[in-house]
Amino acid sequence: MSRAEKLTDQILERIKGKDVKVKREDILRRMKLLIEEFKVPESEAVRTIMNYLVREYGIPREELFDRDSPLVKIADISKVNQWVSLKAKVVQLWDSNSPNVSQVGLIGDETGIVKFVVWAKASQPEVEEGKSYIFRNVVTDSFQGRMQINVTRTSRIEEIDEDIQLPPREIEVVGSMVAIQQNSGLVKRCNECGRVLNKGVCHQHGKVEGYDDLRIKAVIDDGENVYEIILNEENIRELTGIGLEDALKIAHETLDRNAVLLELKNMLLGRYFRVKGLRGGRYLLVKEISVHKPKADDFNEILEALA
Amino acid sequence: MRRREVAKRVFAYELLRSTHQIESEGLRYVLTPTGERVNRIFSVAVLLDKEEIGADTNNWRLRLADPTGTFFATVGKFQPEALETINEMNVPELVAIVGKPRVFEGVSRKLISIRPENIVAVDLSVRDYWVLETARRTLERIEAMEKREGEDVELAWTVYDPDLNEYRDMVKKALLTVKEDVEIMEKLEEPPREDEPEEEFDFEEFEFEEEEFDLTDLLED
Repeated sequence: MSRAEKLTDQILERIKGKDVKVKREDILRRMKLLIEEFKVPESEAVRTIMNYLVREYGIPREELFDRDSPLVKIADISKVNQWVSLKAKVVQLWDSNSPNVSQVGLIGDETGIVKFVVWAKASQPEVEEGKSYIFRNVVTDSFQGRMQINVTRTSRIEEIDEDIQLPPREIEVVGSMVAIQQNSGLVKRCNECGRVLNKGVCHQHGKVEGYDDLRIKAVIDDGENVYEIILNEENIRELTGIGLEDALKIAHETLDRNAVLLELKNMLLGRYFRVKGLRGGRYLLVKEISVHKPKADDFNEILEALA
Repeated sequence: MRRREVAKRVFAYELLRSTHQIESEGLRYVLTPTGERVNRIFSVAVLLDKEEIGADTNNWRLRLADPTGTFFATVGKFQPEALETINEMNVPELVAIVGKPRVFEGVSRKLISIRPENIVAVDLSVRDYWVLETARRTLERIEAMEKREGEDVELAWTVYDPDLNEYRDMVKKALLTVKEDVEIMEKLEEPPREDEPEEEFDFEEFEFEEEEFDLTDLLED
């Protein structure tokens, strides 16, 4: 099907079911003239024809214009070539190897995650990982047997000030703890909201007394991907034998709260862990974590592959 | 936010033969002979030596070895976390090290060195698993080189034209050096076989029952 035919059908789709008789050939002829002969940009051609329909057929303006595709949830997408709008968060972006693609990655809402492609021709503003958007008038498609969303030039991407929750995905990784991030170790939390205080100041509630807690924000690296994880007091006690009480004792004896973090780093950094957790947003929420050790059979397996 | 770079697993033998750097999107990578693009590396090695470069400078040159070769690392004030632990550390010590590789050009040859982000003392099981993991990754890369798949692979062929059998042998040697350790550890940690104590228990119970039904005392009366 040619571009002109596709666009014509999209317009007809908008007035389907209305009590108007519009000839497809009439619109198609105009569409061809505008985009094939006169090389008018597609969006202009569509607008011009819709104006024509308003004038000639008396179709109310609002029926044709500003009628966005229905807002749907990702889990409900099952057919190709459906025009929909999605409220979703950019889960992940990856490099595309085609010059025709401006961005490619995954977007998700609370019901599911789907691949999306922004075509270079669509000339859309770039989206960022971790931010939420309304993707208006995107079209469903299927590639290698899986559903995907195409962002075209008739689509509109609007950033929204809302954090879309993603469905939890359980994953299991074996990797090395290559970094422990700032604000780890013996921390103080706000009495009101539980947020970690920065120099005794809560982001939300200002200067507060705070209470002690033990936590670690760490990076697990399996040589292929990195995962940010948060360990709570219980996780830390299980792995190191140091609980909150012990941590307070160390801080007291050394007169240095940082001594706790140093000790934890010495016990955990560089070690291999098997982590089972839920991947939501940025962090992998730890369900189980244990030290990982090699098995003799694994060695034989690779030695066989080498033979 | 920029995504954190993954720490690649590369044996010293391969690292030492890496001389080509790639700049991409403001990041520097070292290309290895089997086509790995490395911005960050994770290694488990023995810290053989630490030497202060100049008196009281707190700049340290480290000499490290894994089962395949020896490499260098330098730690200074821009690596505060590594500096903190290196000051306390005695040699020799088995360490896990996360850092960035850099190629330096000398008069006659190029030298690769690591700038560690952190260094921590670890135990042998970490080394064993690292060797296993690095062997697995290296083998995957060797296979990708054979298939001539991907940009970095092509570049590695052009720059290094490596003898892949040499790298296969290296992987094999590394695996064999630690395999025995792992087998010994596994034997030591094996839980005692469950059927043995059970048999013993059965035997005791049998004797006990015999006694219970021994009615000779009663008969004597």
